[in-house]
Amino acid sequence: MKIHEKILTHYLSCTSPVDKEGYLYKKKERTSSYQRRWFVLKANLLFYQERPADRHLLGVIVLEGCAIQHCESEGGLFAFSVVFRGSGLKTYRLAAENQLGQECWVKALLTASHCYLALLVRDLGKQYEAEAKRQAGPGESSQHSSVTGQSSEGLTQSMVSLNSCSSSFFMSVPVRTEGGNHRGSHVLQAPPMPSKVTSKRSPKLWPKRNAHVTPINGPVSAYGEWPQVDIDPLEDFTKLHEYYGEEVKQLRAEWLKRRQEGENYLEKDLIDLSEH
Amino acid sequence: RDLFYTNDVQSAIILLPGYPNSSLQPNATFKASVFVKKKLVKLVVNFLFYFRTDEEEPQGALLLEQCRVEREDSLVFSIAFLDEAERKYLFECDSQEQCQEWVDSIIKASYEFMRKNLIFYRTEIHRLTGKDPLEQYGIEDETRFQVTSGLQPVQKDN
Repeated sequence: MKIHEKILTHYLSCTSPVDKEGYLYKKKERTSSYQRRWFVLKANLLFYQERPADRHLLGVIVLEGCAIQHCESEGGLFAFSVVFRGSGLKTYRLAAENQLGQECWVKALLTASHCYLALLVRDLGKQYEAEAKRQAGPGESSQHSSVTGQSSEGLTQSMVSLNSCSSSFFMSVPVRTEGGNHRGSHVLQAPPMPSKVTSKRSPKLWPKRNAHVTPINGPVSAYGEWPQVDIDPLEDFTKLHEYYGEEVKQLRAEWLKRRQEGENYLEKDLIDLSEH
Repeated sequence: RDLFYTNDVQSAIILLPGYPNSSLQPNATFKASVFVKKKLVKLVVNFLFYFRTDEEEPQGALLLEQCRVEREDSLVFSIAFLDEAERKYLFECDSQEQCQEWVDSIIKASYEFMRKNLIFYRTEIHRLTGKDPLEQYGIEDETRFQVTSGLQPVQKDN
């Protein structure tokens, strides 16, 4: 499957806000050595390339339906992963040079998804309309202007179109045609909403979901299965956010604690937040 | 005006409701080197996927950011990307209502559009209530939700 690269690179280089950028180490799949790459997070897309000035994009990760997990430190680097669950899908192992970097990236990636933003917007939209109505007083038509006149309907519409996807899709994304590498395929699906909040500490291990994963020059992966997707577009954002919030609070508490304990902590004191 | 997807042969994509198992009849008509092909098109987050007839794996995807969506006539809309303003992707729908729905949905699917809405609501709620609505979620400091210079800045209470 082809994602039109020009559109991606244009978006990357245009003036829309960059949400985060910087060097991170990315683990190579087969050799398990880390390579330094320049990452740019914009919207729900994590682009990476060799250097900031490069015009050539090495890959892009669509941050939908993935979990962000802490990993044990390796080689002095502070590792975390972007995990797409499902057969045939890969995990991206990344690492920052210091703990602050790791913390900032994890937090930024956690709030990057399109669905997250959609729920947040819907939630605030409701708050706004309620507030505007309240202030307009009874018997008056509320004169609030709104960027979109039918924001909640429009979102529901988009959510409905997401909801109609009952299967997931494989994407193969050739951008460079070197060696005819057209066979990288990864599972894509409409972004899932959690149908229940798990009590696990690991970040957002939502049941049954896959993701948009589009390495531009990705490796070959086998086709996997096509799981059903349970999407509840009416999931309450506050529930979702409580879950996030709890997690972030816990992570922060641990980080602070570790910092206070000083630099020489034993690796085994690190809490392994990964699923297994 | 460039039509979708092929260089030498013009083709248009006809939109169908987004169900992968809907039956698609490839409809090829020849009209002075114009092919008209039906493809299934699906909007998922801020991507528009398109499929070859009856295939479950997408053929390609368009990122719906930095683009302009326009109604061309009663059944047709177009998407143009800002880097290639002359090149328009054309889509023909089955009805006027459907056409409008697609235009609206695609516009609203853009992450940047949603972000602007968020900033608007954040600013307005703060103006009306004195409270930053993102504080309850602990995300008021996130870069991605910051008010841009064009809008009234949100005052932080802490």
